[in-house]
Amino acid sequence: MTSFDQGVLFLVIVAPLLGAALTMFLPKDRPADAWYFATGVATICLALSLYIFIRYDYGEGGYQMARTFPWLDAPLNIAFSLGVDGIGAPLVLLNGIVLMGATLVSQTIRQRSRDFFVLLQALGAGVFGVFVVRDLFFLFFFYELAVLPMYLLIGVWGSSTDFGSFLRTKEYGAMKLFMYLVAGSVLVWIGILALYIKAAEAGVPTFSLEALGDLALQGHFSEEFQTWVFPLFMVGFGVLAGLWPFHTWSPDGHVAAPTGVSMLHAGVLMKLGAYGIIRVGMVLLPEGAENWMPVLISLGTVNVLYGAVAAISQTDLKYVIGYSSVSHMGYVLMGIATLDPIGLGGAVLQMFSHGIMTALMFLVVGAVYDRTHVRDVSVLNGLFGRMGVASFCFAVAGLASLGLPGLSGFIAEFMIFTGAFRTYLPLAVLAVAGAAITAVYILRLLAKTFLGEKDPKWEGLTDSSPVEKGVGLAFVLILVVVGVWPQPMMRVINVGVASLPGV
Amino acid sequence: MEFAWLIPVISFAAAPLAWLAGQRVRGRPFLAGAPAIIAITVGFVLFWVALFGFLNVAPDTSGCRVPEETGSLTCEYQRTWFQAGLPQLGNSVTLDWGVLIDPLSLVMVGLVTFVALIVQVYSLGYMRDEPRIGWYYAVHAFFAGAMLTLVLADNFLLLYVAWELVGISSYLLIGFWHERPAAREAAKKAFIVTRIGDVGMLVGILLLWRETGSFSMSEAFAQARLGSITGGAEGMGEGVALAAALLLFLGAMGKSAQFPFHVWLPDAMEGPTPVSALIHAATMVVAGVYLVARAFPIFEAYDGDALLVVAAVGLATSLLAATIALVSVDLKRILAYSTVSHLGLMMLSLGAFGYTAAVFHLLAHGFAKALLFLSAGNVLHQTELQDVRQMGGLAKVMPLTALLFSVGALSLGGVPVLAGFWSKDEILAALAAGRHPIFLALGLVAALLSALYMARALFVTFFGDLKRENRRVHEAPWVMTGPILLLAVLAVGFGFVSFNWPGEFKGFGTFVFFGHGEGFHFNWGLGIASALLAILGFAFAWLVYLKGVVSAERVRNSFGVLFTAAENKFYFDEAYQWVIDRVVLTVSGFLALFDRAVVNDLGVNGPANSVRRLGVMLRLHVTGHLYSYALAMTLGTIGVALFWWLRST
Repeated sequence: MTSFDQGVLFLVIVAPLLGAALTMFLPKDRPADAWYFATGVATICLALSLYIFIRYDYGEGGYQMARTFPWLDAPLNIAFSLGVDGIGAPLVLLNGIVLMGATLVSQTIRQRSRDFFVLLQALGAGVFGVFVVRDLFFLFFFYELAVLPMYLLIGVWGSSTDFGSFLRTKEYGAMKLFMYLVAGSVLVWIGILALYIKAAEAGVPTFSLEALGDLALQGHFSEEFQTWVFPLFMVGFGVLAGLWPFHTWSPDGHVAAPTGVSMLHAGVLMKLGAYGIIRVGMVLLPEGAENWMPVLISLGTVNVLYGAVAAISQTDLKYVIGYSSVSHMGYVLMGIATLDPIGLGGAVLQMFSHGIMTALMFLVVGAVYDRTHVRDVSVLNGLFGRMGVASFCFAVAGLASLGLPGLSGFIAEFMIFTGAFRTYLPLAVLAVAGAAITAVYILRLLAKTFLGEKDPKWEGLTDSSPVEKGVGLAFVLILVVVGVWPQPMMRVINVGVASLPGV
Repeated sequence: MEFAWLIPVISFAAAPLAWLAGQRVRGRPFLAGAPAIIAITVGFVLFWVALFGFLNVAPDTSGCRVPEETGSLTCEYQRTWFQAGLPQLGNSVTLDWGVLIDPLSLVMVGLVTFVALIVQVYSLGYMRDEPRIGWYYAVHAFFAGAMLTLVLADNFLLLYVAWELVGISSYLLIGFWHERPAAREAAKKAFIVTRIGDVGMLVGILLLWRETGSFSMSEAFAQARLGSITGGAEGMGEGVALAAALLLFLGAMGKSAQFPFHVWLPDAMEGPTPVSALIHAATMVVAGVYLVARAFPIFEAYDGDALLVVAAVGLATSLLAATIALVSVDLKRILAYSTVSHLGLMMLSLGAFGYTAAVFHLLAHGFAKALLFLSAGNVLHQTELQDVRQMGGLAKVMPLTALLFSVGALSLGGVPVLAGFWSKDEILAALAAGRHPIFLALGLVAALLSALYMARALFVTFFGDLKRENRRVHEAPWVMTGPILLLAVLAVGFGFVSFNWPGEFKGFGTFVFFGHGEGFHFNWGLGIASALLAILGFAFAWLVYLKGVVSAERVRNSFGVLFTAAENKFYFDEAYQWVIDRVVLTVSGFLALFDRAVVNDLGVNGPANSVRRLGVMLRLHVTGHLYSYALAMTLGTIGVALFWWLRST
């Protein structure tokens, strides 16, 4: 291991934080400068995350590139300890990619763009932090760091929409998202404190994930304790993952959020929740997890079907994709709840794949909205003739989300089905049926909005900008590469999930 | 023969090339078509190399064996695609890219490469003026790759992958002219209807995985046979085998447009005609039949209870579609319903243990139907008409096309000694041997109907009086008639491969078979009966549509309600539309409203509003008047004092 390896995780958190800090000193009245600078920072982050992913040695497994900086000594024992494992590595890469994409397409932000990019980079740093720390305290810290900027990003740069029968203002969307996520954090924080106290009772007061994991394996956490505490994590983190019935913040948040923020919101932020359930809930409370899995997989199935059915009759493009995210995160939750290496591997891959495909969909919707100022499915039509590349990107993302083989979504969904099939057969069958419902709303959307004759109504509508095209086609390429050749991703994920207890 | 994996891969590789070429070649369709055509030609050549390699292979060649389940020589070659889970820890699954070469997959590869080649050459003429010709050929090449993967796949998961990929190619090609609302709707309908069947198929595949621990076909077949022999003591249990077979059959029903999933195929005629010929007549739609034949060891296990369902569905489909074909007025839709009907016959044959007959008919029908569609394509291309009532007498202006269409119609109608006659006869013989006589009787009815509607289509389109407005119509160019000639040769002569020729080849039944090979033997009774029926059908249609001896009006009236029902396609589309509008959209709309009104407004905003109201109420105590604060302070002090005093005593 080179010395660069020891510092790379630190760098990947610090780079965007430092970027955010430096962005504040840029001149206020030159929006392009902030964008160029943020793009530079995002490029560095992408390079670092790619390095981390490639460098991760799947033959060896476990936490790698680890580094510990002591912070508070006994009795608190909080250390800033870093390390990435087979679950974290693909997600770090995902964040690198989506952050890059979101930064690039935020070129269109003209109003207070400096402040926008400060918050966007802080958000990115928070997400990187969650995926690479090995300490519960800092995990929570970064988790909050990722959540807080969302409020401002939506509340200030978002858009309000009047749907006739009801109104969704950006303030409402931002507030609801924030209240929800903070409520979830409260539950998580209670759970973390409970774990710390229990560990202290066992004579090892610590926030270290590994030390706590060892305690769990040695049986220091009674089954009763685990069964009581696990739901705190399941619901607390689950809120962020869009767990039914705590999902409504997500579609409303999307409707209000600007494009780049929607991309990060659905692309990586929702993944933090699922990651938290695995990393904290399952690893530290394996018996609790086992007792609660029937509930989680049932709720996950509800997510899948409820989200998909509700998506069919949505008229706003962002609501369709928002509900489709609820549905797809249901697959992730189901995969986690199988407690099976295949199903869990599928869940992690689904996080990656869904992150890319949803970000891509929001990118296209954003590009359409920027030009037409319409998101209503019944008003938009025949976009293919005007915005060929954007429509192509949307079609590929849509096909990935309905589980077309050859695109990454299929591999992930198929693994989740396989994992669930052995443990919860009836629910797995329902989940397979959910994939057919997905086909219904995706194809309806394609037929209504994108295909069809050029309408003179959209005379003069231009295709997406070169930057949007570049990002969109790059995302398409990722979906195809992972779908055709999943092995490089899978061998890392396989190692990651194999080390989880109870699998 | 390991090189067989190249056959699909070459076509896959040609797809992006065709698309790129299409960007540059306005007005020169040949350049756009070249990558796809070259790729499929190479595939066709490789098919012959593989065929001769297979015929000369020694049974002890590595990768080859004769499994007991099928009885025919099988060669398999695998490469790992990806792994989920770590094998060293148990509980993992490995997915392979594998090719399986046996007589069944070889004849399918032959059919697909040959018809695809013909159709792609034909498209040079048919799609000549199409600005998106590059895209057209790209999807064509992609389809060919996917279809070849489908028939070569050695495990169920790879088969499913290819299954979905041919589905999306079909979607893209049906919707090729997506500017037309009907094409758009038809594409969507085709994908969603087949997708519903695919849910069942994927569940079936996962069920087999759960049972055997792998996606390998040979493993599943061996387990099914073991279970069947030991009566379920070992291997696959009866319930699982039956469930898996029926679930796989659901997928087959969707793809092969079996009742009640048949509705998508006639609408799929919105695509360009060469697409209808290749995908919706000769290759993709027979994938369901292929699947049942491929998984026959599972269907046949435990006395083959599942096959009774296959037979019943096949028979129902065949009769239903044949009656609609008889009254349809759209030339392409007549052919489409005829395809549905013949797919039903193939299923019926499989359901009666007639494995060889089904595969034989699959091939014979494939050639004849591609021939019919491409000839119809000539008519559509030259006249720009689809409605047969506006045609008539076209033989005078398009003699070659008329001849070619007649060959296809006679072959499919079962007129001796054309290919369709032999294959249909094999099916009838299988029905007589394998099922209750009622199946045979209804099978004969289907055969008669088939002759009738083919004759009607032929006579109404090409014979009788030429309409004034069609006088200027010309014969199609050579690039369109030439390739069809080759198909016509096969539609006439393919039946002869079933004979016991002198020498090594003892007939089709000794090459493609299930269990044990069987040389050709002709059932004279059935043969004469079916030949008479075919001739009767043609003669009757001749009397009705050409001579007018029997009035079409009277025939129509004598069937009354049945006729109207058939004309309205037995109201299936209306019924499905009702379900979508009244059930699916209602449920979805309700759920969306529920989510907003109950989960969000009541569940989320409700508590938030309560907190706000509580705040409003609590605010009232902050009056701003000094005297009320003084009063509260005094009361508070007294209260505390009282409390303290009471406690201390």
